[in-house]
Amino acid sequence: MNTNLFGLALLLVIGLAYPFVLPGYLTVGITMLLFIGWATSWDILGGWAGQVSLGHSFFVGLGAYFVALGQSRYGLAPWWSIMLAILAAAALAYVWGRITFGLRGPYFALSTIAFAEIFRLIAINEKWLTGGATGVFIASLPEPFGIDLFSRWTQYYLALAFALITVGIVALISTRRFGYQLRAVREDENSAMASGIDPTAVKLKAFMLSGALTAVGGGIYGIFLSFLEPHVLFYLLLSVQIALTAIIGGRGTVWGPAAGAVLLILSGEVFRTTFAQANLLIYGMLILAIVLFLPRGILGEVSRRLVRRRYARSAKS
Amino acid sequence: MADLIPFLQNIANGLLIGGVYALIGVGLTLIFGVMRTINFAHGEFVVLGMYAAIVFNQALGWDPYFSLVVALPAGFLAGVLIQRVILATIVDAPEESSLLATLGLSLIIANSLLLIFGGEPKSVLVPYASSTISLGGGVNLSIVLLLAGIATVAAIGGLYLLLNRTEIGRAIRGTAENRLGAELVGINTKRIHAVVFGIGMMLAVAAGVALIPLLFASPTTTGTVFTLKAFVVTVLGGLGNIGAAIGGGLLLGVVEVLGASYLTSEYRDAYGLVAFILVLLFRPEGLFGRSVQRV
Amino acid sequence: MPEVLRAERLTVRFGGVTAVDHVDLKLADRDILGLIGPNGAGKTTLFNALTGFVRPDEGAVFMFGREVTHLAPFQRARDGMGRTFQTDRPFEELTVLENVLIPAFLKHPSRRSAERIAREVLDEVGLSDRADQPAMDLNLARRRRLELARALAIEPRILFLDEIMAGLNPPALREMISFVRKLREKGLAILMVEHIMEAIIELCDHVIVLANGEKIAEGAPQQVVADSRVVEAYLGTD
Repeated sequence: MNTNLFGLALLLVIGLAYPFVLPGYLTVGITMLLFIGWATSWDILGGWAGQVSLGHSFFVGLGAYFVALGQSRYGLAPWWSIMLAILAAAALAYVWGRITFGLRGPYFALSTIAFAEIFRLIAINEKWLTGGATGVFIASLPEPFGIDLFSRWTQYYLALAFALITVGIVALISTRRFGYQLRAVREDENSAMASGIDPTAVKLKAFMLSGALTAVGGGIYGIFLSFLEPHVLFYLLLSVQIALTAIIGGRGTVWGPAAGAVLLILSGEVFRTTFAQANLLIYGMLILAIVLFLPRGILGEVSRRLVRRRYARSAKS
Repeated sequence: MADLIPFLQNIANGLLIGGVYALIGVGLTLIFGVMRTINFAHGEFVVLGMYAAIVFNQALGWDPYFSLVVALPAGFLAGVLIQRVILATIVDAPEESSLLATLGLSLIIANSLLLIFGGEPKSVLVPYASSTISLGGGVNLSIVLLLAGIATVAAIGGLYLLLNRTEIGRAIRGTAENRLGAELVGINTKRIHAVVFGIGMMLAVAAGVALIPLLFASPTTTGTVFTLKAFVVTVLGGLGNIGAAIGGGLLLGVVEVLGASYLTSEYRDAYGLVAFILVLLFRPEGLFGRSVQRV
Repeated sequence: MPEVLRAERLTVRFGGVTAVDHVDLKLADRDILGLIGPNGAGKTTLFNALTGFVRPDEGAVFMFGREVTHLAPFQRARDGMGRTFQTDRPFEELTVLENVLIPAFLKHPSRRSAERIAREVLDEVGLSDRADQPAMDLNLARRRRLELARALAIEPRILFLDEIMAGLNPPALREMISFVRKLREKGLAILMVEHIMEAIIELCDHVIVLANGEKIAEGAPQQVVADSRVVEAYLGTD
């Protein structure tokens, strides 16, 4: 916990200073922070509970559309919309999970793609609901305490808060009962049941929390984009990107997904001119390397070494 | 009666396009049946076939079908290589590892194509693009579709002969049924896995070549579309079951064409996906399948 | 003595095969009941039906007089039913302490008291010095003890032991036998599936013999072992 607290403090300090040091790179910072938050949220379900989802862009889209439609149609301030989005995401995750948690391993992953694709088709085709394929525009936003939500600086600090909150929640969970229930379900559902754990209930909670947090990031992303198109927000490759960020960084570790986000967004920036549109090439090569050489992900492998070393040291003394 | 002719026309078109889906699905299901690998890169293999045809057409003016002479063996070898270098090393890891590895592979293929050829959709215009053959009674078959159908029948027929009439076919079926048992009777299952992945990739490449006169290939989106279709086809039929994948492919082809003409075409892709989820949940052995062995 | 567990005409079928055929059994408080029989006799299936991992086709199971036939395994665990698995399945990626922490959380939601219980249990089974070791690095005998520790950490009143002695070397076996005896003295009712006759004869108050899913004999261990039908069942199938 102390290392986690230290890490969060570090993230806070670096995060606060970043815009002053690199004011020209605010967009990169926002993207990185959003991905830290998304990958960390994804990891509650994908890493801690071990249910790989390839449909999380749905929750991003949900959050973004709630903010945009809430503002443009009902004049609802973004913070109210985001709260509604949290409820909607949790409710949908509950139903979605109820239907699909009977499926194991890769079959669950496949079903999440199918679900998210169906939602994407709905978002594209139901004009009355989402404005259809042409998209929605956020033309105006309220200015709470005179803060301009359209400013990149504001959006940056919102994204920083989102990243801090998600990592903070996971750090909190990791040492407590719920965190251990999640790990138990991931490792062996039968053993978990013998320990009095209801695997479906635990997975549902994980999915609801994961989806709701992802939707919060989606709401901030919606403000950041201010023009929303369904094929961007509900995109399968966004789901893939979120999942791979967490897996490459290290599933089921507090800081793995965040590390993955920093690594991937930074290398995306570095190779921006070389790869341009083809920046997912990096994700492809890294995930292949991870599967072949570091199946627990970067920090997953590091933390396992640390556990072993700590034990070896304690056994000696 | 006037309604009957367009209906028959649709059925015929649906069956022919469904045949190509079957060809894709058969490769996916063969790989799953033998290797327990869910191949996320399958759609990208189809796209590789499309780009092979495009390259040979643009550089040498070849007819897409003529490019098969190069594309098929190249596809087979690439499949063998991918299996040997990547998948063979994780054969005993959890099923999810091969899913992630092939997902990575699909990103690499798609984005490499994007880097090399750029993002604009490409196709091959064949001189017989709009030629048709009359089946009588006003039902006409497009030559392009008919050729695709013939290619499918030839490829699946060849696969059938390979699996049922040859020594290696017996070894493949044996490995699919029971990998350890096959090893005990002296079958080199590593080699079989490589051969099967090669065949699966070859079939996908063939499907890509057959499809390219019909549609535009775009490096990053077309692959995903066909990967999803392949999953739908194989899950409809029952993963690991070749005959059923053919049935699933034909069914999807017909449903798509009929759905697009008689129902709303906007949800064309959704019908397959809904069916996919329902089958996964309620009939994991597939619509036509007897129960397939599951761990 | 009060009865803690009862099964009535419990029957499990797989397809056409009847794996457990109308079996009755009773387990009294502080009693050790042994379940023996040749391979394929249906012991594990009966065990799983009693613990809720397999749905019975007929019959009923009662815990402390309350029917639990259709309760899920985790609900029975909450009511005080602990179990080990034959193929020990620790949470491989976690440390020994964390493995025991998970069941300890059942009765102790706070980390501090759960950890206290977990450490106590580890002490009892003699794994304290391994608390921070990853479970996947343990040898067979220690994995068994970890398996037992996890079952004990839910603070059960009934303990189900599935071949906990199998594969142990003689000293480890002696240790395990005396440990199980201590558990009974602490007030646990125990049902054990076991192949090791030495353990059965030393520990059990009653023994039930299964063959082809049916109960073919029951009684005191010495008496049952001498029963000709039991001898036949063992020799006949081997």
